[in-house]
This record gives sequence, C-alpha cells and structure tokens, in this order.
Amino acid sequence: MLATIRSVAASSGVGAGLGIGIGGGLGAVGAGVGIGIIFGKVIESVTRQPEMRDEITSIQWLGFALTEACFFYGLVAGLISYVLK
Amino acid sequence: MSNTRKIMLSIAGFYVLGIVLLIVIFGFGHKNNTFQIQNEFKLDNWVNLGVFSINRAVVYLFIATILTIGTMVWIARRMHQRPNRVQTGVEVLFGLMRDNITRGNMDDSMAARWFPFIGALFLFIWFCNLIGYIPLPTNSEETFTLFGVHIPDFALYAATANISVPLVLALVVFIAFNWVGLRVHGPIGYVKSLIPAGVHGPMLILIAPLEIISTFMRLISLTIRLFANILAGHLIILFMAGGLAVILGLSFLGWFTMPIGIAVYLFELGLVATLQAFIFATLGAIYISGAATHH
Repeated sequence: MLATIRSVAASSGVGAGLGIGIGGGLGAVGAGVGIGIIFGKVIESVTRQPEMRDEITSIQWLGFALTEACFFYGLVAGLISYVLK
Repeated sequence: MSNTRKIMLSIAGFYVLGIVLLIVIFGFGHKNNTFQIQNEFKLDNWVNLGVFSINRAVVYLFIATILTIGTMVWIARRMHQRPNRVQTGVEVLFGLMRDNITRGNMDDSMAARWFPFIGALFLFIWFCNLIGYIPLPTNSEETFTLFGVHIPDFALYAATANISVPLVLALVVFIAFNWVGLRVHGPIGYVKSLIPAGVHGPMLILIAPLEIISTFMRLISLTIRLFANILAGHLIILFMAGGLAVILGLSFLGWFTMPIGIAVYLFELGLVATLQAFIFATLGAIYISGAATHH
C-alpha cells in the first residue's frame, strides 16, 4: 500500500502535497465521525433529560473541541511531512 | 412570490452573474508564482534587539496583554450598582471563568487559589484569538501608499497561530501542574500518583511508561490544539477569501469561494476563538486539580 502510494507520488510529482492531503483527509474522517457521535448523543440525552441541558452543553463543547483537535493532529502531521519532503 | 424569496433569488442571481461576468471579462488566467502563501505568516523583525526583537507576533502579544489588563482594570475601577452593557458582558465572562472553568473542575480551596491564573490564561488567549480576526496593518511584505505614507497592507494574523506562543503557555501550565503534584505528594509520591490504582507487578512495566509519556503528551496536545486550530482557521479564510484565486490566477474562483470565506470567518470568530480559549483554560484547571489528587 505504502509502496504504491510512494510510486504514484514519485511519478506524478505531488509527493509533498500528498502528505497534507492524506493527513488532513484522514484526520477529517475521524474527527467528523467523532463530532457526529458527540452531537448525536447530546441530542439524545437532552431529549431524555431536558433539565440537564446547561450541564450537558458545557460538557458538549469540551468534547467537541477535544475531538476536533484530532483533525488538526492529522493536518499538522501532514504539514510536517510537507516541510520535511 | 413572497418578499424573502425575491431577496434570496436576487442574491443567488447576483452571485451567478458575478461568476459569469468575471469569466467573461478576465477569462482563465495563468498560475501566479510570485505570491507565496507562507509570506502571509512571515515574521519580519521591525525593531532589532537580538533575542528580544520586536516582530509582528510580539506586537500582537503586546496588544493582547494591554487589552487583558486594561479592560479588566478599567471595568473593575468603575463598577456600578446598576451595570451597563459592557459591565454585564464582563460579569458573564467572569462568571464563566470562575464558576464553569475553575470551580467546575477544582475543589473550593484550590479554586480560590488558582482562579487568577486560570482566568488570566483564558482572557489572554481569548484576546489573542479575537484580535487575530481584526485586519491590522501588519503585513510588512506588501505596502500601499496613503497621503504619501507607506502603510503595510492590512492582514489577519494571530499570535496564537505561531507555535511558540501556545508552546510557552502550555509550558506554564505544564510546570504549574507538575509543581502542584510535587508539592502535594513529594517526588516519589507524585510518580506513584500518576499510575492508576490497582496496577501491580508485571502490568506496572507496561502501564508506568505509558502514563509518564501521556503526562508529557499533554504538553504537546495543548500546544497543537490551540496552534493548529487558529492557524488552520486563518489559512482557510486566506484561501477562500482570495488566496486561491491569486495563486491559480482565476478571478472568478475568488468570487465563487468568497461566501465560504465569510462563513468560515464568522464560525471562527463566533465559536473557535472562544472555544479554544475555554478549552485551554479548562484543561489547565483539570490538569492542576488532577495533579493534587490520586487517580
């Protein structure tokens, strides 16, 4: 798999950009799933217990920011590979 | 047809017409190799003082510091019995810092002690992020002339989009929670307190390095979370609001992506700037209170 990617990258001359693409893209996949789960669960729990809404909202943003950061880890890894070539 | 629908349709028509007009007038241009996107984040020394040279990021840090101290002292000096709008806003912010961030994650005696630190951390990062979304004349690469004075181009830049600023802030938090842990438990007790209760024998060899590494990973994750969020936000705004069109030389593309740029700008300004400051301060509070207690 890696060898294929490498040969494709070498032949098309997009090797450096590929790092950002794969890093950011796969990071976005994971973070997207995670954020979807968080907000889905928040809706679920608020409909079950509307009186807990304020407490849930503050935890929700904590979870959102922690999950969203995973996207940026991927992106930064891609940027590092872009800089190092 | 209702009025709102007419307005929506005319906006959409204007949007499509703009794309068509720009293609007709300017056509498909050539790739632009002189514009370097990384120059938008370049740090030129404006005042040369060796290690203490003043560049763009330092100016932003100064502005954020002055704002943090200035607004808070100014509001505290002229507190009214019947608060005006600004005071109400600051009181909401103060309540968020005191009740949500500090007291929500620490016990009361620690909260009273650490609230100034956590509050200052929150406000400083918040102001750093927010002034990053005001266009200021700080792009010394390009200048324009107004009444015979060379003024640097207006640009969006945030001190927190530079990795060194979040790294130093994270280091301060890192030192703070380790210091608390060492003072409460003592050196050996602190290392022991890092390891979850109930782990004995051979499992210790597996778990202990992981826990110690994860303590150091907090430093990296705090840094990258703040830095990459702000940098990525600024990059997307830059690309969508014209950078892409300039690089590729396609003027209609700039018109096409402009609404996305505005939407991302509002999202960053309204949510991400505050959320990242909130998360940094909250995690700082969680780490500090976690270091004082056993797992």
